[in-house]
Order: sequence, then structure tokens, then C-alpha cells
Amino acid sequence: MRGPSHTETQGPPGTGESGYRSVASAAREAALIARIAQGDRRAFEELYNLYHRRLARFLTRLTRRYDIAEEVINDTFWIIWRKAGDFRGDSQPSTWILGIAYRKARNAFRSSARLAAMENPEDPLQPPTSEEPMRAEELRDWLVRALAQLPVEQRLAVELCYELGYSCEEIGAIMGCPVNTVKTRLFHARAKLQKILPVLGGTAAPEERRGLK
Amino acid sequence: MMTLDERQEHQEIWLLLPWLASGRLSPTERERAEQHVHRCLPCQNEFSLQQRMCSAFAEPDRVVYAPGPSFRKLMERIDSEAQTDRRGARAAVQPHLSPRGIAARLSHVSLWRPPGAAWAASFLALFALTGLLATAYRWSEPLYRTHTEVTAETPNVLHIALDRRLTIAEVEDLLRTQGARVVEGPGSTGIFGVSPSGLAPGTPAASVKQRLRDLARRLHADPRVVWVQPLAQDDTPTLSPGAGAPPER
Repeated sequence: MRGPSHTETQGPPGTGESGYRSVASAAREAALIARIAQGDRRAFEELYNLYHRRLARFLTRLTRRYDIAEEVINDTFWIIWRKAGDFRGDSQPSTWILGIAYRKARNAFRSSARLAAMENPEDPLQPPTSEEPMRAEELRDWLVRALAQLPVEQRLAVELCYELGYSCEEIGAIMGCPVNTVKTRLFHARAKLQKILPVLGGTAAPEERRGLK
Repeated sequence: MMTLDERQEHQEIWLLLPWLASGRLSPTERERAEQHVHRCLPCQNEFSLQQRMCSAFAEPDRVVYAPGPSFRKLMERIDSEAQTDRRGARAAVQPHLSPRGIAARLSHVSLWRPPGAAWAASFLALFALTGLLATAYRWSEPLYRTHTEVTAETPNVLHIALDRRLTIAEVEDLLRTQGARVVEGPGSTGIFGVSPSGLAPGTPAASVKQRLRDLARRLHADPRVVWVQPLAQDDTPTLSPGAGAPPER
């Protein structure tokens, strides 16, 4: 078998930013937040640039609209600007920031008809007809479309795990729920994705692959 | 066929596979998961699937998001709201404006007004000023009149005021000793009109005036006389020495 491809100090799969959650980077981000609490605009811009790409990618994949993603990012950083003084370092800076982004994103989805439009896309996703293994790029496109058919909480859990590479405990802290709830959400999301994209799991039936039969 | 413990462990590891693929398990969990996956074919397949998922999500974006415009938009919003907060705080701190605050607020008010309104305001101000001056003049005038305002209406008669504490006998004695006789009064204010006693009709005017002056001089010197009407040559009112203010009417 192949072992895990990342260590705890390596960057998450989607970011391409090795070590962005290392002790050093966490300390640097905490220092930036402390300077922001003093009204330092340069520190604010630095933190914004540090997180903009990953948040934009994460949120755009969720919403499929950059304008909504940008709105959520700026709402998130508006809170950071005002509440930086409240950050006491009880959690990782990235967990704190993503927690704010998660709540803003969820509220944005739920407070508008956008959510319904996203959850009920006009073009239902058809499973791929070819039995050929999908290339990574094709698979990503299919995953993005398949994610749109998941409930918001499951979609967010998938993104936080696969896209941003957060641990189960960190996702629990970000989403404000127990670890077991995170595992359950991801379990159901995985099952649905495999139903939508059977090609993901090769030829074996999902039940057989799960070893439950 | 799995035992109950194996089935339970399988389910636990199955839930952890996404994080085994993303490298986000603790060392203890990772070791346990790897041992299970090594001997469990379904978990090997699922682990392989999870790795593909991670790789798919790790694909680089086709679109590169530039943070600059978004950040500028955010800073505009922050600056705008900070300005609003400062105004709100000032209003909360100064619910009752001080004169300086009023002046500061007025400094933001445009001084331009329609010409018609300016004319109307000027007219009203002038009208109010005129009324104020008339009132001030009226208020400046005394509300009482004194004996000094009495004018001689009767020729050859000298008006005097006596001390009100004098008895009739004392008044008679005063008039007799000073050579005067009462020809008018007393009025409601106690003013008598007197003339020199023994003045015969047909006496020349110059002699009458001289006798009047002599009488006025004598009465003026008498402490029982409070006031003596000034004669024509002497415009100033004459008050008896030692006497107080002339009695009010």
C-alpha cells in the first residue's frame, strides 16, 4: 500500500503552499493578527494576501461564483479587522480565520436564494459513460459539479478536508461541531459522491468496497 | 467473515481514511490506520480512492485570483464605516451641544440663503430693534413726578411745600413771621400758593417781584419749609437746607 502523502507540517493538498500551517507560519500569522489589533494596515494586507487565494479557491468551488466568494472573503476579513484584538491564540490562526469564513459562507448561502439555485442545478449531473479512468483534471471538474449536489454542511466538510487539508479536530473547531459529526458528514458525503461518480471507485460496488457485506 | 471487533475497527478506520490520505492524522492514529489498511482490501481500495480525491482537489486553478482589487474594496468599506462610527461616537458623547459644538456644526452649514428670505429677516430684525428702542426709552422715563416739575401758573404767587408734621398753629406762626399769606391750596399734595402779606392791588410789578424774591429767600432759609418754587430768574428748584427729598405727589 501507499502511505499518506503528507506529514503534519506539510501543506494541504490543495494549496501548494508547503508548510503553511507549520509552527513557524502559525506564529507569523499570530504576530500579524496582533499587529492588526493595533490597526496595522500593512499586516492586514499581508494576512489578506496570505489567505485570499485559498479562500477564493475554497469558496468559489463551493459557490461556483467568484462575486459571492469575494463577498464572503471581505466579510471575513472585515470581522478579522474588527475582532483581531479578541484573538487570544487558543486555536491556530488559520482555524480562527476559517471558522469566521465558514460562518460567513454558511450565512451567505442560507440567507439567499443562491443556495437553492446551487443545490438544484438546472443541469443534473450525468455519470460518466466511459469506463476509462478519469484524468485528474476531469475528475476535479466532476467533483466540483458533484459537490453542488451535496448539502452545504457536507460540502463544506469535503472542502475543508480535501481542499484545505484540515484535520478532523480542526474541521470540528471551524464548523463548531464534535469530531464524530465531522466524520459522519464526510462519511455521507463520500457515499453520495461514489454514487454520483462510480468511476471514482473503479469497478467494485460501494458496499463491497466498504467491506460491510 | 469479520469478528465484531474487526468490524468495529474497520468502520473506525474507514471514517479516518480521508485524513490518512491527506496526511492529517496524529502519529498514533496513523500507525493504527496503516496497519489496518495493510490487511484490509476494501480499505486499500478506499484509501486509493481518497488519494485520488486529494490529488483531484490539489489540481492547480485555471483561474488566478488577484487579491488587490478585493482588498482595496475592503479598505474602502472599513474606512467608510470607521468614519460613520466616529460620527456616531461624537453624537453619543455630546448629546447636548456646547456653544463650541454648535459653532462647529454651524461652520458646516452653508451661508447662502435665498435673497427673499434675507430681506424678510432684515425687515423683522429692524422692526424688533425699533420696538426695543421705544420700550427702552419709555422704561428710562420716571414713573413719578416731583414738585420741581411744577410750573408757576399764577402770577405773583410763590408755591411752597411745608413739613407735613407741622400743626396748623405752627403753619400760621410760620406764615406770620415770614410775612406770607396763603392764596392757593393746599392741594392734594400739600402745595401751598403764598404771596407776600400786605401786597396792595396796583403795586408795581417790579416791586412785587422784589417782594416775592425776598419772601422766597426767607422761606428758603426756614427749616420748616421743605421746598420753595424757584422764581423766573432762578431756574433751579430750591430745597430747604436740612430737608429731605421733596414729597411725592
